[in-house]
Amino acid sequence: MDTPELTAAPAGSTAFATTTKTVLREAGIGIALIVLIAAFSFTPYFLTASNITNILTQVTINLVLSIGMTFVILIGGIDLSVGSVLAFCAVVAGTVMNLPGLDPAAAVALATISAILAGMLFGVLNGLISAWWAIPSFIVTLGTLNIARGAALQVTNASTIYSFPPAFNAFGSQTIYGVPVLFLIALVLVAIGWFVLTKTVFGRVLYGIGNNEEAARLAGHNVFFYKVAAFTICGVLVGIGAIIYMARLNIASPIIGIGFELNAIAAVIIGGTSLSGGRGSVVGTLLGACIIGVLANGLILLGLSDFMRQMITGFVIILAVILDKYRERLTKA
Amino acid sequence: MDSTAVLELSGVKKRFGGVVALNGVSFSLRPGEVHALVGENGAGKSTLIKILCGIIQRDAGSISLGGSPYDPHVPGDAKKAGIQVVHQEFNLLPYLSVAENICFEDMPRKGFGLVDYSTLYDKARKALDAIGLRDVDVRRPVESLGVAHRQLVEIARALMGESRILILDEPTATLTARETERLFEIIAGLKAKGVAVVFVSHHLNEVFAICDRVTVLRNGESVMSADIAATTPDQLVTNMVGRQLAAAMAASRDVDKAGRTALSLRNLRHPASPHAEGVSFDLHYGEILGIAGLVGSGRTELLRSIFAADLPVSGTLERDGQPRRYQTPKQAIRDGIGFVTEDRKEEGLILDMPIAANVTLASLRKVSRFGLLNKREEIRLARALGGEIRLKYGNTGDAVSTLSGGNQQKVVLAKWLANNPKILLLDEPTRGVDVGAKAEIYALLRGLSEKGLALLIVSSELPELITLCDRILVMSKHRIAGEVAREDFSEERILNFAYKDERNHGHP
Repeated sequence: MDTPELTAAPAGSTAFATTTKTVLREAGIGIALIVLIAAFSFTPYFLTASNITNILTQVTINLVLSIGMTFVILIGGIDLSVGSVLAFCAVVAGTVMNLPGLDPAAAVALATISAILAGMLFGVLNGLISAWWAIPSFIVTLGTLNIARGAALQVTNASTIYSFPPAFNAFGSQTIYGVPVLFLIALVLVAIGWFVLTKTVFGRVLYGIGNNEEAARLAGHNVFFYKVAAFTICGVLVGIGAIIYMARLNIASPIIGIGFELNAIAAVIIGGTSLSGGRGSVVGTLLGACIIGVLANGLILLGLSDFMRQMITGFVIILAVILDKYRERLTKA
Repeated sequence: MDSTAVLELSGVKKRFGGVVALNGVSFSLRPGEVHALVGENGAGKSTLIKILCGIIQRDAGSISLGGSPYDPHVPGDAKKAGIQVVHQEFNLLPYLSVAENICFEDMPRKGFGLVDYSTLYDKARKALDAIGLRDVDVRRPVESLGVAHRQLVEIARALMGESRILILDEPTATLTARETERLFEIIAGLKAKGVAVVFVSHHLNEVFAICDRVTVLRNGESVMSADIAATTPDQLVTNMVGRQLAAAMAASRDVDKAGRTALSLRNLRHPASPHAEGVSFDLHYGEILGIAGLVGSGRTELLRSIFAADLPVSGTLERDGQPRRYQTPKQAIRDGIGFVTEDRKEEGLILDMPIAANVTLASLRKVSRFGLLNKREEIRLARALGGEIRLKYGNTGDAVSTLSGGNQQKVVLAKWLANNPKILLLDEPTRGVDVGAKAEIYALLRGLSEKGLALLIVSSELPELITLCDRILVMSKHRIAGEVAREDFSEERILNFAYKDERNHGHP
């Protein structure tokens, strides 16, 4: 709008400039993803149906964890415990699934509920401790990272659980038109996350707290509740992630999920969410997780070693943040 | 020109954007004198000090030091030139020891970059002894000291360097009478050594106790310089205030229409208040009640304790005659109170978020159902309020950070108006707002009081309070020092109350 004074704009023009800005940011990340895909499509195998299925399968778990991480990072927190909590949720679910006397359907349902509850428990713990004593969540979740890992090892006596109902295993490898069902579930979670963050009062206040906690508090919002809620949501998604992991790989082990938290953080940051909170989106996170997945897959197809792959992923994370700084400067000017 | 002057300023000017901070300051400082710099809040004292110590640069005017031009660009330049400053805010490193703090600018070394701790402790010990602070262990972390001791450590640090000129910005604000006494002895000692001291203070009794000369700043100009012996406190206050503007504004308000009591405080005490009796007053519907007082007199704290932004430690609050004990701002808001904070960037707005989102931040329940935002309704509300307060903006979706200061302040007001409050607390409602927007905000506030809202306004600008208010309470040291009714409004009267504590039972 070029009119300097506009007190009665035409009704119906409901455009949110900031939404437009978010869309632009996401478009930028989307373009990066497309460029990446275009570059790799020169390798013969990359664009085959089976490889795409493969990439989507690879992306799924990181994507689920990243959705939860987005909520936590949006309020200016961080959750380092997700990898360990995933292992804990998995062994709890695996144990429940093998309880004697349960028919398979009930076993799976009960296991899913218990995994989500276990994840929730750690989420609530992370949120309560960091919000109540005003301890940086970095420290609190570093602690729960160890607690959850230790608990998982203790519960299982460091053994792996293999035996799940066959139908459960089969579900994990099902595809619809080449798209893994588990990835579709992750997409549904992305949609829910997007809805909550952009369409609800809850989401609005989360953004507000991430931007300016004191202003949100003085506007009458219960900052404590929202902080605990963000961590709890993250925990719930870790629980869901654990079930997805089990369905895909048919094991539950106390040593799974090592380093998953870092991949999730990377996806969120590449997706344009600010580590200091208040800015970002779940859609960006989806794109970020896809960039990491495509990159890993493409580099393998190029015949690069695992080590090189890791180095390049590292460069990409840093590059993403540097680009974001420039983008920020452009939009502020 | 004063040929004996060690420091000579003439016509120094400085503006920040559209705001003129200094508009021609001239004064001279002689070796071995203690020169007081006084003026109201916002008169330009702090800006002047920042220019002298190289934190900011002047736009115009000349400064000469010892006869040669002086033009510091970084704080290091000022130190090299022998100008030491003790700032009002602490610049200490809390987790380092007292000794490390004192010697931080010039750490004794042993070679290989190692700190020579025995020399360090020696030097620090001597520095503390020199100012009579013998009971403090130099190895203690600064964090463990009380504010008064910190202030003295700061002074010891400033004195470590070779100083020709020492600038003390409100040095006694945190000191007790005994420590103030000690500070005065230190100043006398420096004076005897030929050091020139610039003493910035609100406390006129101190100015008359230890200073040789005084310069008064008003609205960024030096309006008077005189020997202390040739002036009086009343003359200083008159000069600080300037001409009277009260008369012209008196007609604009119909005083006698205040209604029922909206809010009643009895002995309400903020945790930072040293006095158990706290603050007591009644605020009525339709009334604009002003709170005047010096910076640090507890005005902001009073508003924060009403709003439960900080919880009061004692006292009672009644809302419409019913006792209330708010635990969170949320409860105060539900009870019809709004709080326009002093610092809109830190506490009032979410700068990167859209105008509409800021307007509805305190009233999201009105623009949502079952937790779902109705963005159409939100925009409608933002536009309606935007029209009501004459907000100048492009689109309700623009980030608040794109607005001018005055319009940002209007958004803060709109945020509270969206809630239909019965009581509005306003802390410096026109700070950093240009003249035009100021007039609009005044009109808006008057309109609100005519609709029956009770307004409680804290302001450092006395003309603002005199223009707007029906009554003014003057705070001093977290207490109500006096009350002035509209027919008696004058800046002198208000300032007399503000400085009352200083004259009657201040030290020494």
